[in-house]
Amino acid sequence: MKLSELEHDALVEVFNLGVGQAASALSQLAGEPVLLTVPKVELLSKQAVLDQFSSDPGARISAVRQTFEGELCTEALLMFPAAQSLRLVQIMVGENLPLEDLGEMEQEALAEIGNILLNSVLASVSDQLELALEGSLPEVELGVVSDVLLTEHDHSRPFLSLQVRFEIASRRIEGYLVFVLDVCSAALLERKLAALIKRLQCE
Amino acid sequence: MMSKIAAPSTLGFEWVLGNVQLGVLVLDTALQVRFANPWLLRRARLPANQVVGRELYEVFPGLRGSHFASRLQHCLNTGFPVLLSESLNPAELPLYATTGPATPEKRLKQSIQIMPMPAEVAQAAGERLVLIQVSDVTPAVARERLLKQQAERMHAMAHLDALTDIGNRRHFDLMYAREWRQALRARRPLSLVLFDVDHFKSYNDHYGHVQGDACLKAVAGVIESLAIRPLDVVCRYGGEEIAMLLPETDLYGALQQAQLALDRVRERALEHAGCERGVLTLSAGVACELPEPGQAADTLLLMADRALYQAKRQGRDRVCTLQLADILQA
Repeated sequence: MKLSELEHDALVEVFNLGVGQAASALSQLAGEPVLLTVPKVELLSKQAVLDQFSSDPGARISAVRQTFEGELCTEALLMFPAAQSLRLVQIMVGENLPLEDLGEMEQEALAEIGNILLNSVLASVSDQLELALEGSLPEVELGVVSDVLLTEHDHSRPFLSLQVRFEIASRRIEGYLVFVLDVCSAALLERKLAALIKRLQCE
Repeated sequence: MMSKIAAPSTLGFEWVLGNVQLGVLVLDTALQVRFANPWLLRRARLPANQVVGRELYEVFPGLRGSHFASRLQHCLNTGFPVLLSESLNPAELPLYATTGPATPEKRLKQSIQIMPMPAEVAQAAGERLVLIQVSDVTPAVARERLLKQQAERMHAMAHLDALTDIGNRRHFDLMYAREWRQALRARRPLSLVLFDVDHFKSYNDHYGHVQGDACLKAVAGVIESLAIRPLDVVCRYGGEEIAMLLPETDLYGALQQAQLALDRVRERALEHAGCERGVLTLSAGVACELPEPGQAADTLLLMADRALYQAKRQGRDRVCTLQLADILQA
């Protein structure tokens, strides 16, 4: 499965609606405007996601994982390079973090940021593509990127990957949102996307 | 073959919920409180009849319009669970330790999870409920704060000169490298003043090391009192040498600061029998650079050091900077 230009644009639109909702919730939390954009959406293999994330396969990342189930089954992972996640939490919490790693409470803050973003994005997907979904609570995982990206998955399975850009008080932080899709879900997504495009064209 | 063991009775489950060591609050979609467990009630310091059967915002009016309220609404709209972390949210619910005063600063630090009932369960149950779980993370927050305070203290200690209480050489080297890079990026001048106590060896010989230490402390205090802008850095560079790093300062400004420091120390009139004037004086070497890409980072340091040498050679108690002729001569 490869995304056509129309499919790509429709997905970017759906995701941007979602992150827009998340941005207003995050702005309320941060007490200053948070801008979220999705500059890129791609269907990638696991290897391509790894390559895109870092040239170093041992690079440490922080991730927030939530599972969404219903008509579609997907694991949603919001991933940041470790240093970026520290900065993001630092900016959001508004204090200095002299520790080199995320502490227990900071991990929870990252889980909340991820929860806000993932819920909003999935709510938009569920609305726009007319898919009934239910979600789990967020979990934070710290580790090496290839470990976090589920090793037991078959390498050929497609990952829907989006780049998410956070801009808070003129500072920019980039993360990746990855949806692990099974074959049925990938096919369903394609059908629902086609239906959405048709609806949009009829309007 | 395993025998089938029945799940606990309703009464059994009630007992379990009554003893769970975290707060459990169950709402319906109209936000009526349908259940609150004893853990929560005791910490809210409310009897069950003032909580159960009433609307959430009637029970806890402080929640109205809060981030909690908007996330709860989001949860009801989307059907996705929501997490409210302690770090990003003030203690939302008015919960307090079971003993002691119920003042705002004594509120328990809370981590809150809001979970909607899945559609399938709701259909079977005939109604949709929302589960709110509250964990008391007060000890974890205190532990983390302690850890951070200690890390900060250790960091400060590692960068402080034990005698004079100004930055040490390690701190200077770090700040120097940082400010050089910053000046290079921002295309701004960076100035450095190196101070040296005149005839310090004879001072030590004459008054002893204890008095010598006190003298260095006094000089460091005077110089540091002049570094009033947030980026100015004063550090003990060597034995009786003190460095003052002045970002975004031109040569004229740095010369003025250096002269001011010399004047202030002379005004203190610290007795020094070993030199002609009879009072303690300083010499200072000043340099200013507008760093260029590819330029060696220690340029500024070398120039200030040579200017200081010149000040000493020309008779001490003065401020010197290298003239172009001096540089070309070298």
